Amino acid sequence: MAIETTVVGSYPKPPTEGEQFTLRKTLHALSRGDASESDLRAAHEALAREVIEEQEAAGIGIVTDGHVRWDDILTPFARHMAGFEIGGLLRWFDNNVYYRRPICIGPIEWRGPASVDAFKFAKSIAKSRVKAVIPGPVTFARLAVDEHYSDHQEFVLAISRVLAQEAFELEAAGAEFIQIDEPALLEAPEDLDLAREAIYVITSELKTAETTLATYFGDAKRLGPELFEFPVAGFAFDLISGPENMQVIKELPPEKRLQAGIVDARNTRLEATDDLVREIEELASIVGAKSLRVSPSAGLEFLPREKARAKLQRLSEAARRVGS
Amino acid sequence: MTENQLPGPGLWTTSVGSFPKPDYITKARSQFARGEIDREALRELERKATREWVEFQDSIGTDLIVDGEMYRGDMVAFFAEEMPGLEIGGLVRSYGNRYYRKPIATGPVGRDHPMTVDWWEYAQSLTDKPVKGMLTGPYTICDWSFNEHYSSRRDFVLDLAKVVRDEALDLERAGARFIQIDEPAASTRMDELDLVIESMNIVTEPLQAHTITHICYGKFHEAYPKMLDIPVDQIDLEFANSEYSLLEEFSDNPFTKFIGLGISDVHTHDIEPVDAMAEGIRRSLKHIPAERMFVDPDCGLKTRTVEEAKEKLSNIKKAVDVVRAEL
Repeated sequence: MAIETTVVGSYPKPPTEGEQFTLRKTLHALSRGDASESDLRAAHEALAREVIEEQEAAGIGIVTDGHVRWDDILTPFARHMAGFEIGGLLRWFDNNVYYRRPICIGPIEWRGPASVDAFKFAKSIAKSRVKAVIPGPVTFARLAVDEHYSDHQEFVLAISRVLAQEAFELEAAGAEFIQIDEPALLEAPEDLDLAREAIYVITSELKTAETTLATYFGDAKRLGPELFEFPVAGFAFDLISGPENMQVIKELPPEKRLQAGIVDARNTRLEATDDLVREIEELASIVGAKSLRVSPSAGLEFLPREKARAKLQRLSEAARRVGS
Repeated sequence: MTENQLPGPGLWTTSVGSFPKPDYITKARSQFARGEIDREALRELERKATREWVEFQDSIGTDLIVDGEMYRGDMVAFFAEEMPGLEIGGLVRSYGNRYYRKPIATGPVGRDHPMTVDWWEYAQSLTDKPVKGMLTGPYTICDWSFNEHYSSRRDFVLDLAKVVRDEALDLERAGARFIQIDEPAASTRMDELDLVIESMNIVTEPLQAHTITHICYGKFHEAYPKMLDIPVDQIDLEFANSEYSLLEEFSDNPFTKFIGLGISDVHTHDIEPVDAMAEGIRRSLKHIPAERMFVDPDCGLKTRTVEEAKEKLSNIKKAVDVVRAEL
């Protein structure tokens, strides 16, 4: 049977070398007052369409809109929560990529959906299935500044209640797959119990959507097998930056799914398809082909467009070969 | 070290490196990229802009001058373009609507000609004040490049260190008494801080010049005090954008080197008032003596407008004058 393929989330915004970079130009024009918000929306939609078609052409089974509207994974959500203002730039984990730090200055409340319109648009144009992605509450809290709650647990749970509302709205809008990104959990094993409680706040609101807890940029070994007690349908691991994750997945309970990040989303060197085939076969022998989905190791935005595309092509070719 | 000492009781003003490019440079760079003007025409304009920035720094009384990097697009790509073994890759995003061409190591890196010496000589010819030699450190070049050649990051970094060392030695031979080797990525991965130290030692070991490194905030609170083991005379850090939170660390573990004290946030259009800057310097003087303190913006100013950058630099100088009068 065919091995399913997916992506982790983001996709390069720049065009193929030599083509027009419309989004960048539109944003520049907007800042000069030479373009309107509706021009920006058109540029976002055109790019989302391109990114979805590109993933589909590469043969990816479950796609995202590439997060083409987002500067980072936190800001769009923080902007839709009362209680947050947007702070300065900080490094996004160990990448030469930056995010704006949300600063909590008052009680956190939901102010309407942050990602639902973008999801609906993606779903309306995609031929394949579309995954919604939201930040995890622990990652959100740890990368933000809390100037209001002064209690980490209270802060995390307040964020999780808003994200639960977002997830509920995504499901209502037709999301079959919701991925919750918790990369910061890898460096915060002390937050494991809190994270489980916070994730429960989100997933207990959902009836039909299949949920995945995603970590990337490192090993989940420090979290121990208790991670697998989280109330989600599956787990995503980065097998490139976290080689120990190969051991971690051996503990995966049979009823849980694995999303295995096996092509390097942070380096341009192309993986050999034969190597990917062998790796997928090994993974399938551990967790079973039915429970396995393969993906890049993280969002693909760290790569130039051509490299991201080439990596997806090889990933899905390898997955097809294993399945045939 | 003493022969490199600047005159006066300390609290010298300087800059971290880059300044905004005037519109005529931005325009000329696009024209050059499209093949509409030749390299020499672009160079002539880059020299003009360099001269304007050196004259500006002189006019406000800056003690240690930078050339402003009018001829560099990006602090890693500039060196990558000049070095065998590195190729310029496709566009990747750093944040918001900002993108850069991330280099790719496709073979062993090396150096077949000096990369910055002629620009240093030109800038130094324009002023009697010392001009800093400005290099990007080996760890940061590795960290901000893709790697399709080396089997380990360490091998890549140590090869780069030899290249940067040879460039630094050529700057020193040309007369540079202050050489800055920027390692903004040094505070990224704590398990590689030893590699930062090892590679910096390759670069600075043979140098007589006053050596400086600029490190971005990152995981500062984890990297300190080990950061003090990086073999340079001075570390330049950003204080303004973290509201001087770094100073708390210095109470427990005294800062033992010369410091570059960043007192103006480079990511905001706001021009910090002189009073606030002066207060920041006073707070910092409780931890580090004036004779070991250089004062500058948090980081390179290239993302600000020319006017904003000039106002920030002018206010820094005024704040320093206020505090100097109290010493």
